Amino acid sequence: MRRLLVYFLFALSANAAVVPIAYRHRTLANGLEVYSIEDHTTPTVAIEVTYRVGSKDDPPHRSGFAHLFEHLMFKSTAHMKSEMMDRLTEDVGGAIHAYTGEDVTVYWEEIPSNYLHALLWAEGERMASLNVDEASFKSERDVVKEEFRSDVLGPAYGLLYNIAVDRDSYAKHPYKRPGIGSIEDLDAATLSDVQTFHRAFYRPDNAILIVAGDLDPKRFDAWVDQYLGSIAKPSTPIPRVTVTEPPRPAPRRFEEHGPNVPLPAIAMTWLIPPASSPDAEALRLLEAILGNGDSSRLHESLVYRQRLAQDVTVQASLRQNTGLFLLISTLASGKTTAEVEKALRAEVKKLMESKVPAAELEKAKNLVITAELKRRRETNVGKASAIRDAVVFHDDARYANKTLDRLQAVTAADVQQVAKKYLGGNPVVITYTSGGSK
Amino acid sequence: MIALLFVLLAAMQVETTPPPPEPPRPVQLPRPVQSTLPNGLRVVVAEKHGVPLVAARLLIASGNEADPPDLPGLAEMTAAMLTKRTTTRSAEQIARDIEVLGATLDSGADWDSSFVAVDVMSSRLPKAMGYMADVVLHPTFQNEELERLRQQKIDTIRVMLKLLPKLVLRAAAQVVYGDAPYGHTGLTIASAEAMKREDLIAFHDRYYTPANAILVLAGDVTPAEATRLAEEHFGSWKGAPPAPVPAREAKPPAPRVVIVDLPNAGQAVVVFSRPGLARTDPRYPVAQVMNAILGGGLSSRLSEEIRIKRGLSYGAYSFFEFRRKGGPFSAAVLTKNESAAEVAGLIAAEMKRIAEDPAPADEVAARKATLIGNFGRSLETNAGLAQLVGQLSLYEINLDEIRHYIESVDSVSPAQVQQFANELLAGRPSIIIAGDAKKFVDSVKKEFPDAEVIPASSVK
Repeated sequence: MRRLLVYFLFALSANAAVVPIAYRHRTLANGLEVYSIEDHTTPTVAIEVTYRVGSKDDPPHRSGFAHLFEHLMFKSTAHMKSEMMDRLTEDVGGAIHAYTGEDVTVYWEEIPSNYLHALLWAEGERMASLNVDEASFKSERDVVKEEFRSDVLGPAYGLLYNIAVDRDSYAKHPYKRPGIGSIEDLDAATLSDVQTFHRAFYRPDNAILIVAGDLDPKRFDAWVDQYLGSIAKPSTPIPRVTVTEPPRPAPRRFEEHGPNVPLPAIAMTWLIPPASSPDAEALRLLEAILGNGDSSRLHESLVYRQRLAQDVTVQASLRQNTGLFLLISTLASGKTTAEVEKALRAEVKKLMESKVPAAELEKAKNLVITAELKRRRETNVGKASAIRDAVVFHDDARYANKTLDRLQAVTAADVQQVAKKYLGGNPVVITYTSGGSK
Repeated sequence: MIALLFVLLAAMQVETTPPPPEPPRPVQLPRPVQSTLPNGLRVVVAEKHGVPLVAARLLIASGNEADPPDLPGLAEMTAAMLTKRTTTRSAEQIARDIEVLGATLDSGADWDSSFVAVDVMSSRLPKAMGYMADVVLHPTFQNEELERLRQQKIDTIRVMLKLLPKLVLRAAAQVVYGDAPYGHTGLTIASAEAMKREDLIAFHDRYYTPANAILVLAGDVTPAEATRLAEEHFGSWKGAPPAPVPAREAKPPAPRVVIVDLPNAGQAVVVFSRPGLARTDPRYPVAQVMNAILGGGLSSRLSEEIRIKRGLSYGAYSFFEFRRKGGPFSAAVLTKNESAAEVAGLIAAEMKRIAEDPAPADEVAARKATLIGNFGRSLETNAGLAQLVGQLSLYEINLDEIRHYIESVDSVSPAQVQQFANELLAGRPSIIIAGDAKKFVDSVKKEFPDAEVIPASSVK
């Protein structure tokens, strides 16, 4: 599950102004989008390669495949042995990560800047070819099955968060399938699926390279041209999901169960528009008003005053296509899901019926901005991610430096309007209680 | 001419090996400054400008270590109650006031300290400092709020005891330390039920004193401004340093092999654990290098053998919990229930290998680089910087260690690693395996005939 991370550039007041992210952009002849941000504060760089393929693109009966594939990108290529990516990063004081979302798969490294040249070579290697053998394919698939157990089967609420919310919330769109997959679908995956998937999606015209930190622009450009610009652009079209999620004709309820659930939980979801919608900022503020901090409406009402809930999480999960507005709450001992549902609905209704007071809206803006500064400003990785989301969700990197104006422009009337428009729609309600079988 | 031709040819060919690194550039390390107010409060400032944010931490140098034996978790309950009402403001006002600034306010306790943490934009720091001081100096520990928090904490513990990684570490502390001071892992349902308002007030009176506290400010703030803010908000704070915590000298019990049965658990977790090192132990650098080789990350031996070669786990790790005294050294691996015994065998084999054979020099060099890189990255955020200088100050380690850390890690030799591993890993560890016991109890008992089975419900 993943929330949209939109970047806010603006500071709270004039005396705390923040400079915009200064980036350079090139599109190579083979379609690769390249962004660089020069910053010599520390002798390190963050390298991020994003492929526009996510778990929504999992092949039929292969849920979890995009994520399994992400693991295989650490295996052998034409000129790299398995785990050589780790040798080139961890062994020299760097760190290496990858992440599979619904819409994108992101690979990133943080390395001492004197290894930038080597890492651009390596990213070119794995973009151009993968050469995975049967033994490492099977072993890595077992690792992913263990990840499934650690995320889904182990934690008491794993099934609810990682499987049930999306499965029950979407009727048609592939967002309904779990990104972590299922043991059966993972077992069905083959080595030839891996090559097919690489050919279809891992190509320069489906990728975004963002490098932030201690770099010299001229040399950087030359290395990018040499190692990534030389990769051919395939003539085949990139497969795209074209399914759209229909509006919900009626509210729906689901009863889900997991083993060893200590306290019942309840989730409510509504469909919201794509991340590129002009309503996105108001939805993020709605999220903050309802759920960000101890003084947020749901925390104050359900956790503090009425003591109905152990916790409440609110998420405006903005995606490339139809997203979800999600309320999810673990109950306090002795309370019922019906009581909590009633309280959640009462708070949602209030937002639709009356405008949020100015001070409360201001608080929500301040919280969102400060959190974004921490997440998107402090590190090279954070800055790169700000550019990435602007490019992925808005096809426009400038959005990273523009959003704050749009956020500041949101009025109490906008928030009310968005609450009515989306939370006034048909909810899906999921109750989650202890039970032997899933 | 020939050289030029060679260069041209090389450029035309695909490079089959990664280009070599260029010369490294020096790392810039922060230079925190420490001062002490007349009332004994230590103030540590680590400047980092560029982003208008500050991480503020008020540390009390007493945590769960100072809990009375019959009230484990008193430190964390006391800290959690700070924000629930002061002499002038209600819990709701406290939350609202801080959040209007866009700031966060958090409080809690670990073994060696209690803390109040504020993250805020630098322009709002003066206001936020006022709120921080209010909750530290003027909490009221009101009964109604205590009752509310008590119920919440009990529910949290209920949830936690069904969460395998948490459950197993609770069980491990009890097995490894028994009645010795580190034998508990904080609040239990029983202690939460037993705590009274007077207990919290007594803890606060005794330990929340300026001479037992450290104020850390990291980020967009100058030392002059920090000192001014510290004096303004904490200058009138009074109180003597606390008497030392009464020593509870108890020897850790003999190692055991314990299976914690949680029927229908979707996975098992295998833990090897034994007493480790104090943070101030001079062997700290060699211990870190040893751990990095054994189980400190994705490139460690445990990860290589258990995850990469055999696909038995998503993550296989070992870790020290460095505390004022020797906290545990543990290895922990989540795996499917059926693989628990195999994983235990693999952990044991790797611990034996690192103690018996010196690690190859290139492996040691690579893991040292990882440690040094992690250290540098931890200083990129205000929170990381505040954490580091706060810990140094807490353990009364010279702040100059920041500038010597890289060198001290770099100087560790393979022979030192082996010798250290040999000392640390001598004798049996305790082994704790939690999961759906029926799926692994037979195979584990084959290897460890003395393994005991306890129900998950017996873990407090």
